[in-house]
Formats: sequence, structure tokens, C-alpha cells
Amino acid sequence: MTIRNVRDHGQRYRPRMACLKKVEALVLEMQDPKSGVKSQTQRLVITTIPHAITGEDIVAWVANRFNIDAREAQSIATLMVAFGYIYPLQDHKRLIIKADTSLYRFQTPYFWPAQQWPAEDTDYAIYLAKRNIRKKGVLELYEQEHYNNLHKWMNHKWDFIVMQAKEQYRAGKERKKPDRVVFDCQERAYWVVHRPPPGTISAMDYGLERLTDPNADEVKKKKTMDYYRRIVIFTQQCIMRSRVKSSVSLGAIVKYITTCKNHDPFLAMCLPSNPWLTDDTTYWELNMPNVEIPTKMRVERWTFGFRELLSDPRGRADFRLFLKKEFSGENLAFWETCEDLKWGAAATMKDKAQQIYKTFLAPGAPRWINIDGKTMDITVKGLVHPHRYVLDAAQTHIYMLMKKDSFGRYMKSTVFKETQKKAISPEEHKFSDAQLEQNAKKRKPNLSPIVLRQREEEEKARLAASGPMDITQLCKFTAPVPHLAVYTGICEAQLSHGRERQPPSPGFPTLPNSAACPSPISVAIDSTPASERKFEGQGGSAAAQFPSIAEVPLETRVSASARGPDESQLASQKSRVALSLSRFLRRGCGNASVLASLSPKCHSAMGGRVQPLSREPLSQPQPKRIANFFQIKVDIPPECRIYPIDSEDEENECTSRVRGTVKEIICPWESITKQDQAG
Amino acid sequence: MDGKVADDGGGGSQKLLEEVRALVETLNKVVACYHQLSSCVGGSTDSGQLRHELRQTRERAQQLALDSRRLLTARLRDRSLAPPTRLEAELLWVSFSSSLELLHADMCKVFSVGQNFPLSSNTGVLVQTGMQGETAKVTARALSLSEPDLNEAPASMDRLEQGELEAEKARVDQMIEDMEQRVNVLRWTVEAQGPQNAEPVGSGSSLALLSVLQAEPEQHRCKRGQMFVAALVVSLAAAALLLSVGVLYLG
Repeated sequence: MTIRNVRDHGQRYRPRMACLKKVEALVLEMQDPKSGVKSQTQRLVITTIPHAITGEDIVAWVANRFNIDAREAQSIATLMVAFGYIYPLQDHKRLIIKADTSLYRFQTPYFWPAQQWPAEDTDYAIYLAKRNIRKKGVLELYEQEHYNNLHKWMNHKWDFIVMQAKEQYRAGKERKKPDRVVFDCQERAYWVVHRPPPGTISAMDYGLERLTDPNADEVKKKKTMDYYRRIVIFTQQCIMRSRVKSSVSLGAIVKYITTCKNHDPFLAMCLPSNPWLTDDTTYWELNMPNVEIPTKMRVERWTFGFRELLSDPRGRADFRLFLKKEFSGENLAFWETCEDLKWGAAATMKDKAQQIYKTFLAPGAPRWINIDGKTMDITVKGLVHPHRYVLDAAQTHIYMLMKKDSFGRYMKSTVFKETQKKAISPEEHKFSDAQLEQNAKKRKPNLSPIVLRQREEEEKARLAASGPMDITQLCKFTAPVPHLAVYTGICEAQLSHGRERQPPSPGFPTLPNSAACPSPISVAIDSTPASERKFEGQGGSAAAQFPSIAEVPLETRVSASARGPDESQLASQKSRVALSLSRFLRRGCGNASVLASLSPKCHSAMGGRVQPLSREPLSQPQPKRIANFFQIKVDIPPECRIYPIDSEDEENECTSRVRGTVKEIICPWESITKQDQAG
Repeated sequence: MDGKVADDGGGGSQKLLEEVRALVETLNKVVACYHQLSSCVGGSTDSGQLRHELRQTRERAQQLALDSRRLLTARLRDRSLAPPTRLEAELLWVSFSSSLELLHADMCKVFSVGQNFPLSSNTGVLVQTGMQGETAKVTARALSLSEPDLNEAPASMDRLEQGELEAEKARVDQMIEDMEQRVNVLRWTVEAQGPQNAEPVGSGSSLALLSVLQAEPEQHRCKRGQMFVAALVVSLAAAALLLSVGVLYLG
């Protein structure tokens, strides 16, 4: 394998140096014997050298040429010197124009800065070696450093460099004395420009290198019809771009600043004190993600907008609580699961998507969300080939729903008002210098992020396990609810003593969801306070009246597994249960969790039995519910009407006939063949 | 031109290496001269003569390059070389290829500058660089002539040269590429044997002259002045001593 020697073929374009062409044109103009700059002879001891020009002449000429004032002319002239087209004869290291009698000379075109070629290191090494040859120790410090560096990394060429330097020196000697002087000056000036001494600003800082010449088009491109056509299209597209009136956008900025400026620790004091300044971490502790009591500033921030509320974990928790009371928690849950899908690992995506469908989207799903038919259509179609963003439309819809509807009510709700009341506003720390020093000494490192993450996950698990699952809508089902009933209500009563729960309006039929998905989700709706009371009271046949279904937390594997073993016990108890159970099992919904949600545990706790197994005929479902009926074909017996009820609508009196068939939620993509066969 | 050549039969590889070394050194010399000449293009001494000289130098350089390449490639492809010889050959190879690259760079520059400063056109302006003299001696050195060639350059040499230069520089480029591909010399294994700093050759250099003559020479003048003053003081002291001694003697 050969390592190619990379040579610069002059194919790199350094756009910042595109101005060089203009400077060259100017320099050429200055050469004109009649209208150019007047030159004089430089007198040296032994000889005279022509073509020296004074600084003031240059500046005057430039001012005359462009019709500008002296100061601007001076800066233009300085630019020419900085680029290396003119070099000073005295004080050769400072590349500026002095508008007096100091002498300058034009640089030979060979040494002009070129846009295509950089100044090579090999040449620089040869130049430094040459100077060493002339007289040892004449190199400046930075030059000596460069030289040593070059010797190190160009070591393989070093013999060549020394040899070449000698040869060049000897070749130079063949010239006459004044020419030699001039040549040396030229070379020296060239290297001052291209390898500037440290601390000087170099005009050769040319920025990016490009592979095409951005100026080539202007000069050489032929202006054909096609070329003009493209320009026209381009400009048309520019015009068509949507623009926002600056008054509008500026207004938005102003509004944002005025609302948020007190919350910015840079601009306003943060209470109690800024930890970075005082080394006191109270501020961070008070603002932990899952702190019990948030600070007043934090709560105020939630009022700014829905996004702020959601992005703050504590705010989100508060909102979740509120939604639970309002029985629209599925919205937030759906949104969160969508986020999880979007940001989660690719491997689990398909399963997650399926799960989400079964939980939220399918008709009769346990936590059915209310989105319009069109969006549902799109989503389900997309779910056939799930990807990360397949639920985007639905998620946006739900987000907007929450924002426009729930958020407003949240702001006015008691939950929020209580939080606001309880929020603390810490006192400002006033540390003396001694105390500040002490704080600095007491600094300790934060917890490792690994530990934090573990804690987070434990927290999540705990939340999920104990999870207050809100009660979602009643699914008027014709399914033999009973065995699938999940009495989280009971469980909840057991687990969360005194956790408040608002009972839904009476008369809600209980239709356990036959969403026999791996995830144990059944919609359980508490029927009435009465039922509750009954449950708590006797746990007896009360439930016979109204099967109550409570919802099981989504990730309640813990409780699910706990109830698992009791499944058989339950089955043995009720024949009907057994019937539907077997059917249930046959359908492969043998997940213990669902059945388990019949909660024998709750059983014992209640001291009674769960009896959601009543076959009480429920009143007919109201026709208007059908509005939410989806077009998705699922394997449902025709008599079965499924209509999710809006949780807000608590006055609804709907019943349905409890049927013997268990409706199974089949994901459309799984049942394509069945449907096709069916019809 | 392909790089194959039969082994020279006679003399050992050492002799051959000597030959190659001589060639490479000559190439170096010619390239240095070319460098010196090319700095004049576009300047006040630019003329048809200069272009002619450039052309001659370039031709010689290319010829030398071809020759050395032939020999060197043959040497380096010979796998039976003993390590020390091989190292030498590699060193020579690096020198050779670097000279060739320098030549190529110079040719490109000359070409582009020559395009901006065509001599044949009437409106061509030359930059007043302060050069005055002739470069004939440099060319003579390049061509290894004892006497500078005083023949006049043929007319419109510059256009001819420009035209050829483009083709020639592509050819040199190609040569370099070929070389890289045929001979596998690992550059990072080649170590230079010479010293880091070349020995100073001359003391009276032009820059020294310059520094004496220019404004900054105040330092030198100061130094001279200081020396002068020191000498004066020393002489005065000596005189005083003599006087005191004399006084003592007399007194």
C-alpha cells in the first residue's frame, strides 16, 4: 500500500480570497507609467534600486482613483500591504501603510498570494534553511520554532531541503548585487505575509476551503435560456415562501420576554440563591423533578402555557391528578405513551405500537381516546407498518384537546388552586463572605447520573404499580364482562386508603374489556357510590347489581401477577364466569392479569366476593353514542354495540345488554384475513 | 516513457547509485535555478529572453528527471539490494520526487503568471519590482555552461512557451503520479542523514548588506558606534596610563 503524497493541485478555492483578483487589477493600474504611482530610487550605500514608492504617494493615488477621503484610502492601501502586493522596505515586519515618506515596493507576481495554492511548508523550510546558510543564528525565535517543527515532521525530506537551500543560495549568487538584494527582500516579505510572526493579525486567514470556485459562474458561465429559466424559478420560489410579519414575530418575542424574564436566573434573582454563586444547593433541592411541594415560581411557570406544564414533571403529575378526577386521564396517558414510542428504542417499537393500539385506539379499548374518525383512519392505516412517528397525528390531536379543553379547566380547578396555595416561596439567602467561604468548602459532588436514573425508574415503577389509574369511559359492552371485570376500584380502595375517587354516574353498565392483550388493561368503571359502598360494606352480592369495573393500571404487572393465581379460584366460583372464561381463554387472552383483576385480593380485602358477574340486563345503548362508532371492522357480533362514552359526560344513562360473547380487540392488521373472509 | 531498463551490467550497484546521485544533485541545481528565474516573470525584467531561458532550464530539468527516474526506478525495484544501499536509494528517491514536485509547482506558477502577463500583447504592463539585471548567468549555471548564452531569444517565445508549458506541466504531474505508483517507498521510514542546519556558506550576504544600509541599521550603527567609543575609551585609558607612568618615571 502506498501512502500517496498529497499534493495541492490548486483545486481548492478559498472564497474569502476572491477579492484578490480585484486587488491585482488595482496593482496593475498603479504600474501605469503615466497615471500610476510615481516611483523613485532607493539609495543604498553601494547601489541604487529603482521602483521605490512612498507611502503618501500610494495613499494619494488611491484616494484620487476612488474619489474617497484619505483615511479610507489609507485603509485600502493597508489592505494591499497586508495581502502582500506591496511590501515595506523599512520596518518589514509591520504590514501597514504609513502615509509619509517611508518606502514601499511592489511584489513580484510570482510571490503574489494565490487563491488556489497555499504557501507550502516545504518552501518555508527551504527558505529558513537558506537564511541559516547565509548567517547562522539570524532566525527569530518563532522562526526557529517553526524550523524545528518542520525538521521533525518533514524529516524524510530534510536532506533534500538542505540541498535545495544550498543550490538556491548559489543560484541566487549568480545574480547581480542589487537584484540579489531585491530578491531577498521579496522573499522575506512573502514569508512575513504567509507565516506571520505570532501575535499579528494575518490577512491570509482565509477561512474555509471549497472545492469549487464560487466566482466561476459569474465570469465564465454562458447565459443560456436554461440558465435564465432556473434563475426565474429560484426567485419565484423565494417570493412564495411564507413570511411572518415582523410586527407579529416581534410581538411574540416581546411577549415571551415579558412573561419569562423574571424566571431567568441570569436576569433575575433566583430564590433562595443561585447555587453557582453561593454554593448552596437549596435551590436545586427545592426544584427537584418530583418534589412534593413545588415553589411558587415553578407553579407560576405552569400558567404560562400548556407546554410548560407538561414539560415540568411535577406539573405533569399535578395535571395527571386533575385528569384522574375528571376521568380523562387516558388522554395524558396516551400522549405519554406516544412520547415513549417516539423516543424509545427501535427494537420495541412494533410491540409498543401494538400495545398502544390495543389500549387506546381500538374500539372498545380500555382506555379509549376520543379522536375523530379521519385521524383514527390515518393512524390505523399507519399502524400496519409502524414506525416512530406513526401516532403523530393522533398525538397532536390529543395534545390540542388537552390544551384547549382540560388545561383551562385545570387552571380553574381545585387541584391547581391547592397546589398554588401550598407552594412555597423560599427566603432569599443573605450570605456573608465568611459563610460563602464555608459553603465553598462544604461543596460535594452531585449524585451520579446512574443513581439518579435508577431512582427515576423505581419511581416510575412505583407509580405504575400503585398507579392511580383514572377511570375512563364506560364501554358499553355486550361482553360478558364479569370475569374480566377488574375491580380496581376495590383494589384501589384497598391500596389507596381514602384516595379520592369520584364515582361515575349511576347506571353505567360495566363491560369489562375483552382487550385480552398482553398488557392487562381492562376498563373498569365504577358504577355508583352505592356500589362502592356496597363493596366496602359487604363485598357481597351487592356487586351483583352492578358489575363494577375498575381499571387496572397499565403496568400493573405486580398486582396482576399477584392476582394471577386466583384466577382459577374465581373460575370455579361462577359457572358463568367459567363459561366466558373458557371462551376468553380460548381466544388466547389468557393473560392472568386481566382475569386476575377480578382481584381475589380485593376479594379478601373486601371480605366479600367480587361479583361483577351479574347478567343484569342493562338498558339499551343510546343511539347517539354511535356517533363515536368506528368504521374499523372488528370481529364483533352484530348485536354488540360499542361506544365509548366520554368521561365528561357523566350523566349518561346507558346500559347495554350483557352478552355472552367476549369481544376481542383485534388489531386490524392481524385480522385482515379474517375480515376478508367474513365479508 | 516506461521505466524499464536493463541493468547496466558493468559496475556494482554502488557505482550506479553514485551516478544516480549525481543526476539527482544536478536536477536539484536546475530546479533551484528555475526557481530563481521564475521569480522574475511578470516583473520588470520580464522579457522574451527570460521566457526563453525558462524554457531551456525547464527542458533540461525534464530531461534530467527522466534519466534519473529510469535509473532510480530500476534500482528500487531490484529487491536484492542490501539494506544500506536500499536506504540510500530511498533517500535519493525522496530527494528526487521532492525536486520534481517543486519543479511542477514552479511550472504551474509560471504558467498562471505568464497568462496574466502576456508579453506579446501591446497593453501588457509589467510590475515594477526593482529588478534590473540579466539572468543569463543563472541559466548558464542551470545548463552547466561555462559561458552564458548570449544568443537572442527567438521572437514570440513567450507564446510558444506558454502553449507548451501547459502540456509539459501535465506531463510532469503524470510522471510524479507514475512514480508514486511504481515504487513503494514508505516515506515515514526514510530518515535524513544530514544535519538539521546547513553550514553557513558565506558571511557577506545581501541581507546583511541590507540590514546595514536600512533604517534598522541603527542597531548596527549603534554597535559600531559603541565599538568606536569603546576603542576610543580604551585608547584614552592607555594614553592616560602612559602619561601617568611617564609622570611617575619623571617624577
